[in-house]
Amino acid sequence: MNMNRRRWLIHLVLRALAHRKGRTLLLLAVLAMASSLATALGIVSSSMEKRVAEEVRKYGANLIVIPESARLDIGSGGLNFGVVSEPAYLQQRPVEEALAKSGLKAEVSFHLRGALHMKDADIMVEGVNFSDIRRLFPWWQLKGNWPAAGETVVGNDLASRMKLKAGDVVELVGINSKILLRISGIVSSGGEEDDLLFMALPELQQALGLGGRLTLVRLMVTAGGSSLKTCASSLQMLMPTAKVSEVRQTARTSEGLLAKVKLLMLMVTAVVLVSAGSSVAGTMSTTVLERGKEIGLMKAMGGTRREVILIFCGEAVMLGVLGGVAGYLFGSVIAQFITKTVFASSAEFIPWIAVISMGVSLFLALLGSIGPMISVFKLDPVRSLRGE
Amino acid sequence: MVESIIETNGLTRSYGDICALKPLDLQVPEGEWLSVMGHSGSGKSTLMNLVGGLDRPTAGSLRVGGEDLLALSEDGLARFRREFVGIIFQQHHMVPYLTAVENVMLAQYFHSVPDEAEARSALERVGLGHRLKNRPGELSGGEQQRVCIARAIINSPKLLLGDEPTGNLDHKSTVMVMELLKELRAEERFTVIMVTHNQDVAAWGDRTIYLDDGVLVREERMKS
Repeated sequence: MNMNRRRWLIHLVLRALAHRKGRTLLLLAVLAMASSLATALGIVSSSMEKRVAEEVRKYGANLIVIPESARLDIGSGGLNFGVVSEPAYLQQRPVEEALAKSGLKAEVSFHLRGALHMKDADIMVEGVNFSDIRRLFPWWQLKGNWPAAGETVVGNDLASRMKLKAGDVVELVGINSKILLRISGIVSSGGEEDDLLFMALPELQQALGLGGRLTLVRLMVTAGGSSLKTCASSLQMLMPTAKVSEVRQTARTSEGLLAKVKLLMLMVTAVVLVSAGSSVAGTMSTTVLERGKEIGLMKAMGGTRREVILIFCGEAVMLGVLGGVAGYLFGSVIAQFITKTVFASSAEFIPWIAVISMGVSLFLALLGSIGPMISVFKLDPVRSLRGE
Repeated sequence: MVESIIETNGLTRSYGDICALKPLDLQVPEGEWLSVMGHSGSGKSTLMNLVGGLDRPTAGSLRVGGEDLLALSEDGLARFRREFVGIIFQQHHMVPYLTAVENVMLAQYFHSVPDEAEARSALERVGLGHRLKNRPGELSGGEQQRVCIARAIINSPKLLLGDEPTGNLDHKSTVMVMELLKELRAEERFTVIMVTHNQDVAAWGDRTIYLDDGVLVREERMKS
């Protein structure tokens, strides 16, 4: 049977590794340990990022977009009587276009706030899309149901003041029309929303004669990677006539904390990788020293330096691949344990972590072999065969 | 007239202040069996290493098979060794984790392509057809030396170098190895340079040269 050169090389490499079982297992253990650490930290880091993002979601919107209102300073000479501003609005379509263009991963809700007349009084009404509200403000407490078509929800304080309850029908008078809405529930947020009446955005736009206008856009940016500040500034550039602001410090604090924990993880990984690399280099050097006669023989038989080095490279690659596979499997188990214990959730399979794990193991195996390879390259066949 | 396969002119090898081989002029005709004798440190192995392209001379010229070895790079010398030379060592130097047949195939790997059938046939020629799958540790000294002979001839070299190949063998094994080499030489027609301490082993050759302190002191042609 004719064995081609590549198959023979693999055969030779496997035989050499099997011959030194103890040393091979030691090298595999070191490489597997290093790559399992990289795997575990990668998976835990990714899980942590997702977990923090989920936690941040609970705090609701983290960016708001408001119109830049027209401001006019009132004063004369040294006297300043203050600032007057006239209502300003955002145009819904350009905002939607800007959001699409920004590529941000965000939950969005559009708001229009204005006054309508009810029971001989003006009340503040907010037009919203109720499904957006339910996603962005999951902590709002509702007595009754979320509204269907022709229904509304009323803030807790407003309902108390106006003696309203679920099931009542209210008449709201706007510039252009009268609207009859049935109250489906009383909502409590613990904030200014408790003094508002909520209705569907298009109906309010029509009632106020402000079709396609908005007073506020709330965003809950969920995309990992770029910071909230970066998202805000990139959005601001796309909407020069609006003002984009961060609303919650929580998100920024979480991002900062996450970045610090990730840095710590990277530093720990780097220390382990350096230690593992040194260990691999030491073991490989000893192996090369022990195999001096074998290398000398290969050279005496006509093996070029490149061909002999290829055999040792093959051994390093084989160890790297096996160490990478073992490291990935072991690291996944460790990651699963950590995420279950710390985050009470299970770690998911992330394909690129397998590539990283393999890469770390291969890199260490080859890096640790550089010194020994140089020795192989320089080794004099006559002296090595004499055992010098 | 038979052409010389080896031609040296003022061939010298020094290690610092020590001159292991003093200027040597030597011609070896193609197909000759040359025995090199001398005490330890007389320069025998140095000469063999130079002729085999394992070492470089300090001065002089060295042509083997028409190739100027001084002009060859490291990789050029490696290619010369694989194409032109087969070496049998006193210490056998077999790869411990490979079987007998795999040790022979290793020489094929560096020469061209490993061919198990050819390697088996080479081992059968040296009488080791029944020991193909044995590792060096499972073979006697004589058997290991026969594996080394099979490994040295597998690529059909023009020049076979033996560095005291029977030095570690008993009389019976020595005779067996020498007879084997004689047979193979008759079939393959390679040139032999055999370094030895043993006058009986040297007597198997066509000519013997004697080195002393790096100098060729005597030359003797054997009666056929």
